[in-house]
Amino acid sequence: MIRLLRRYLRLYVLEAWFSYRALFAWSTPFAYLATKLGFPFFTMLLFVFMGKFVGISDPLYIVIGNILLLPSLNGLSGVSMTIGNERQFGALSYLLGSPAPRGPIFLGRALFHILDGLITVMVALPVAMLFFHLDLAQANFALLFFCVLLIAFSSSGMGFILGSISLVTRDGWMITSTLAMALYILVGVNFPVDLLPGGLELLSYCLPMTRGIMAARQALAGAAWVSVAPLIYGEALVGALYTLAGYNLFLFIEKRSMALGSLDAL
Amino acid sequence: MRKWSLRLVWRQMDVQIRIRTLNWYTLLIFILQPAIFSGVGILLSRAAGNPVPNLVYTVIGGGIMGMWSGLVFTSTFDITRDRRDGTLELIVGSPTSLGMVEAIRTFTNVVAGLFSLGAAFLVAMLVFHYSLVGIDYVGALVSLFLIMFAMWCIGVFLANFIAWSRLTGAVADLLEIPVAVLCGFMYPVSVLPGWMQAISAFIPIRWALQALDASLLGNSSPTLLLQNWTFAVLLSLLFWALSRWLEGKVHDRIRITGELNSI
Repeated sequence: MIRLLRRYLRLYVLEAWFSYRALFAWSTPFAYLATKLGFPFFTMLLFVFMGKFVGISDPLYIVIGNILLLPSLNGLSGVSMTIGNERQFGALSYLLGSPAPRGPIFLGRALFHILDGLITVMVALPVAMLFFHLDLAQANFALLFFCVLLIAFSSSGMGFILGSISLVTRDGWMITSTLAMALYILVGVNFPVDLLPGGLELLSYCLPMTRGIMAARQALAGAAWVSVAPLIYGEALVGALYTLAGYNLFLFIEKRSMALGSLDAL
Repeated sequence: MRKWSLRLVWRQMDVQIRIRTLNWYTLLIFILQPAIFSGVGILLSRAAGNPVPNLVYTVIGGGIMGMWSGLVFTSTFDITRDRRDGTLELIVGSPTSLGMVEAIRTFTNVVAGLFSLGAAFLVAMLVFHYSLVGIDYVGALVSLFLIMFAMWCIGVFLANFIAWSRLTGAVADLLEIPVAVLCGFMYPVSVLPGWMQAISAFIPIRWALQALDASLLGNSSPTLLLQNWTFAVLLSLLFWALSRWLEGKVHDRIRITGELNSI
């Protein structure tokens, strides 16, 4: 039993490291920084100026929201790409033909993206302090750290689903990037979700990150664990459901590809 | 223009439109992405307590955003895709110059972007009851034409720049939003701090867009329009001259290395 667990753990970590390296190893530092920080920073500036134009004098709500959305770049796009690229680069048939257990292979895709997302937020917060005078004097740092970790985890759950979809469609990246854009409106990044029309508000509560961002905002204001616990439990549940759905979708696609003998031609 | 030139332009546009519409998801760039930005603008306006959003900046500005996003991604990724698919060498080796191919492709991309602007206008009129009363139609049409001209010049410049520099799509990622921020696609440029306004003065789209917004809002004056149009035309021509220079550099590199794939 212990040997089996060790084997699974080793496979999980190795798979996590290789898939992360495979995504970024060919990249240059410029391209990496442009993707990770450039696009989100300028998008945040656009929203800040849009807010200023319509009469929102304090841009901090928008700034904080956009920083808390940063882990989704890894969790959603990064995880989705590491899975979807298997097909694009012709490695899917080797993956599906290997005898390795599917759990660590699939779930390992998220580990380093979760950590990377966490680090990105930790870099962005001091920058926000410098440029937007974000006050962290009251912040509950331990809770904030946990909330960001949870956001990174739950967003990777959505990445698993989109990654699996990428295996069966050529338009996986387009779907992922469109959904990533939709998060700016749906998960309470730039304004509270209760401003959304009824249907969209309901949808926002079915998505990962909505509750996590709410909890992290409260942690920044100094809230204690007890007051944000329902939000955290809800976020963890939504993240776990998305991860489970993504994993089962992957298994289903694998089974279908075996039955059809299609593998890379899925 | 001679008959064969028109035929060349038409054939190139036909090919470009076929490539773009092979995948209907690419239309998401023109429709969904601007809709999301407009949606954020409308909801931010509501959060600020405004009963009605400013339709010219929030909704129609989203259409301009869609035009720009469509152009910047297609103009930069066309070259990258040609390089990846091995068609870049065929284009460089064909009797039609790379510059001409890029010019026609970019023109098609700019014209395709009108789809996004048209959709934004329809939404503004049908959903938000945007009134066309008080609009300076002539000013708006000339300004729109100059926006398209400015985008075409920048698109051709970017296409040649990507071919010459061998930079990848990361450049497109970096250019898309900053230009939208600096040119005031979704708000007037006066919202920006002084130093950002100074930088944006070098981008021709900003001047043409400023004239379009003034025309749509009905507060344009001949002096203001002429001033904005002049800046837009001069700066566009500067980008066009730069792209011609870069095109020469691209062909120089091919001649020096003797390899079509050196770009």
